[in-house]
Amino acid sequence: MLISLEDITRIYTVGTEEVRALRGVSFGVNKGEWVAIIGQSGSGKSTLMNVLGCLDTPSSGRYQLNGHDVSHLSDDALADIRNKEIGFIFQTFQLLPRETALGNVELPLVYRGVRAKERRERARAALDKVQLSDRMHHRPNELSGGQRQRVAIARALVAEPSLLLADEPTGNLDSTTGEEIIRLFEELHTAGHTICLVTHEPSLAARCPRAIRLSDGMVVADGVGRDVAAENVAERARIAAQVAAAR
Amino acid sequence: MAVKSLLAHRLRTLLTTLGVSIGVGTLLAIIGIIVGLNAAFSDDLAVMGTNTLWIQKFPWTTPEWWLYRNRKDLTLSQIELVRSQAKFLSAIAPNVNFSADVQYLDQSVSRVWVIGSTEDYPIAAGHDISLGRGISQGDDDNARPVAVLGMDVVDGLFHGVNPLGTSVKIGGRPFEVVGLFQRKGSLKVLGQRPDLKIEIPIHAFMGAFGRARRLSAVASAVDTEHLPAAMDELSGLLRRARKTPPKSEDDFSLNRSEQLAKMWKKLTGALYGVVVAVGIITLLVGGIGIMNIMLVSVRERTREIGVRRALGARKRTIVMQFLMEAATVSAVGGAVGTTLGLSIAKVIALVSPLKASVSPLAVLGGVGFAAMMGLVFGIWPAARAANLDPVEALRYE
Repeated sequence: MLISLEDITRIYTVGTEEVRALRGVSFGVNKGEWVAIIGQSGSGKSTLMNVLGCLDTPSSGRYQLNGHDVSHLSDDALADIRNKEIGFIFQTFQLLPRETALGNVELPLVYRGVRAKERRERARAALDKVQLSDRMHHRPNELSGGQRQRVAIARALVAEPSLLLADEPTGNLDSTTGEEIIRLFEELHTAGHTICLVTHEPSLAARCPRAIRLSDGMVVADGVGRDVAAENVAERARIAAQVAAAR
Repeated sequence: MAVKSLLAHRLRTLLTTLGVSIGVGTLLAIIGIIVGLNAAFSDDLAVMGTNTLWIQKFPWTTPEWWLYRNRKDLTLSQIELVRSQAKFLSAIAPNVNFSADVQYLDQSVSRVWVIGSTEDYPIAAGHDISLGRGISQGDDDNARPVAVLGMDVVDGLFHGVNPLGTSVKIGGRPFEVVGLFQRKGSLKVLGQRPDLKIEIPIHAFMGAFGRARRLSAVASAVDTEHLPAAMDELSGLLRRARKTPPKSEDDFSLNRSEQLAKMWKKLTGALYGVVVAVGIITLLVGGIGIMNIMLVSVRERTREIGVRRALGARKRTIVMQFLMEAATVSAVGGAVGTTLGLSIAKVIALVSPLKASVSPLAVLGGVGFAAMMGLVFGIWPAARAANLDPVEALRYE
């Protein structure tokens, strides 16, 4: 099992008030799975994503990632785990504006201490995988939204992490471009990558083999994406129509 | 990476660099000027002669001249007594003087320092004869109207004419030129011209220009080593000759160039302190400029920092990144400032008699100090950048 969460809680203190963002979340993800995490805003899915991404540590519970217990690691150790095990894909792409596509993709390898020549080769290969070889010397502001997200995906892939963590990857894209990105995820899934995709769009979750629904900081549903995506039968029909239309 | 992000904000970087440059430049220029001033002053002291003693009514070191005005002047017989008994003096010569215009044919030099003295003057004052002869015992005994000219006087009166044997008019009276003093060069800091002088026999001086002038004396110790002994001896002999009561202090002053050096140090020490402080403050202002720009840079790049942290950058890596930027700005500023400071020193050396100079060590110190300043003033912004919460940083708009 690649990911194993056991009774994870995350409590923030805002002023004098305690906010219990996660209240005992447990689930596991196997290597090669594609899981959507859905829920409305305030459900705790962002907090869960931060914990999964080792950007945040749980208040209690146990989180094992690829065999390491990462629940209570030091800041430096977490940075190293992020670098080795996780490839982030953000809604707003989060590319460095002053670096070229190639420079952006090289970045995780810089922090891993890979030599410049090898870094360049691996970054080129990653950009090739997302069909952006012809754009590698362009800066983000010279690229379209879809191209930017593909650069970000190349950056997430380049260090060969065990987990791809995507946060609303199509949120800032029009539907056509969004569809391209989802196709890319499907390819990555077929190629054996493990993907966790956080979204609030049921139609996107419905296309994932598995989905987990969060509500009030707890897992309320876990199953086949298409089933979990819809909260009731009527909605299920509507989503099915949307998915069909998109295809 | 540091260079790339600095180039992204050219104007801002330029202005910050300028702040550091001005600081380093000011400091180096100030140090150069100080070094030059001190060098010029030691040159002056060397020209004055380090073994030379001036026996005068007033001390050089205290400005309160009125405290000493009731002292009696020296007399020729007192000087003669010292001359005949002193063992540690190579020479002592009496000295009366006034300032006069000197003419030769239609040429004239004004405000020449005319000194009445004896054959001992060149040795006592440390001013050799370069051509002809000095004033002799016979000249003085007979009050002959003969003169030894300083080179500034020669330059002003004679153009291609051999001065020896000619007759010059001093204060309207004719004197025959029998010798020339060696050229000493002018005192750059003290502003005197030891070459703008004429020596005539002291009795000729008194005969021609009156007796009622203050008499002082100039003397030389046999060597620098025996200067303290010479001073003790001179003081003792003079006290005896002047019948100074045993427990009262000297009623004359023994002045020498070293006293000027002491006064110089006292005067300039405080000044240097202030000026160097100003330079350092300028540098600090430059440093605060760096800190300011780094804080702005950190804020602007909050998301970038978040991204880098998410991709696996450790805190230390982020700190290093921002420190490198700060150090680069300051080091470049330091280099520019060094050039600036060196140029200022060069210009000063060219247009003024000051040999303002900046040692290579000072240059190295300037650039090194600037880079270090970048690190010191960069550390806080860098630490702030590294301590941002990655989750918050990624969400920052």
